[in-house]
Amino acid sequence: MLSENELWILSFYRTSEISGALFFGKLAKSMKPGEIQRDMTKHFSDEALHSWYWTSCIERLGAQALKLSEAYQDQYLAAAGMPVNLMEVLAITQVFEKRVVNQYARHSQVAGLQPEVSETLARIMIDEKWHIEWIHDALKKMESEYGKDLIEATLKRFWEADRDVYSKTMQEHEERIQGLVRLK
Amino acid sequence: MPDQNQVKEKIANLLNQPVSKLEDGAVLTTLVVESFALIEMVIELQEEFGVQLVQEDLKDIKTVGDLTGLIASRSR
Repeated sequence: MLSENELWILSFYRTSEISGALFFGKLAKSMKPGEIQRDMTKHFSDEALHSWYWTSCIERLGAQALKLSEAYQDQYLAAAGMPVNLMEVLAITQVFEKRVVNQYARHSQVAGLQPEVSETLARIMIDEKWHIEWIHDALKKMESEYGKDLIEATLKRFWEADRDVYSKTMQEHEERIQGLVRLK
Repeated sequence: MPDQNQVKEKIANLLNQPVSKLEDGAVLTTLVVESFALIEMVIELQEEFGVQLVQEDLKDIKTVGDLTGLIASRSR
């Protein structure tokens, strides 16, 4: 069974995966043929699958996913400003995916975690690690076009925004996530 | 090199709206309410017209006219 807070957190994860899938799906649709088009297509399909994993997980635990209006990524744009080219999109995604892996890893350490949640986290994290790798490789290849310094400066700016967003999110939902900070 | 009207036509196409409804003074964030849709549109315009923009370039871009002017002036 899920507590109200746990249901909200898993629903928030689900909503964020859906937002990611929709965004990357649109990008994948508009991209020219090539490696990035290929990998972005897989990336978006993974995110959609992850939203299904969360939906299914919540259902197996006897609940139904909440319909939430805001995803984690929405706050990034407010904090970091809108990415305006593919390099910036990949950079902000890289930062976000690393935050997701970090959050999911922390969640997986919670004492007494339901096996259904634990399994879902493990499945998703395998994909998220690939997401980080392909984006890292794509950004590396973009150095000739954008310059290594600009890419690094862009990543740094988004990391700073990420820290602000994460800190704000933790404060806003302190009560909900209190259970998640009880590490093994 | 495209002129601003050609860029505006592309924007109209992307937004699925008639060009006649895209006034130069129309505010972009009012026209395209969803942030991600706006990102997608800006990236597509760059791809279409061979332009490379960074975040700094869009700092003062608020309206359709601002954006079409920027894209047209930067197009190779």
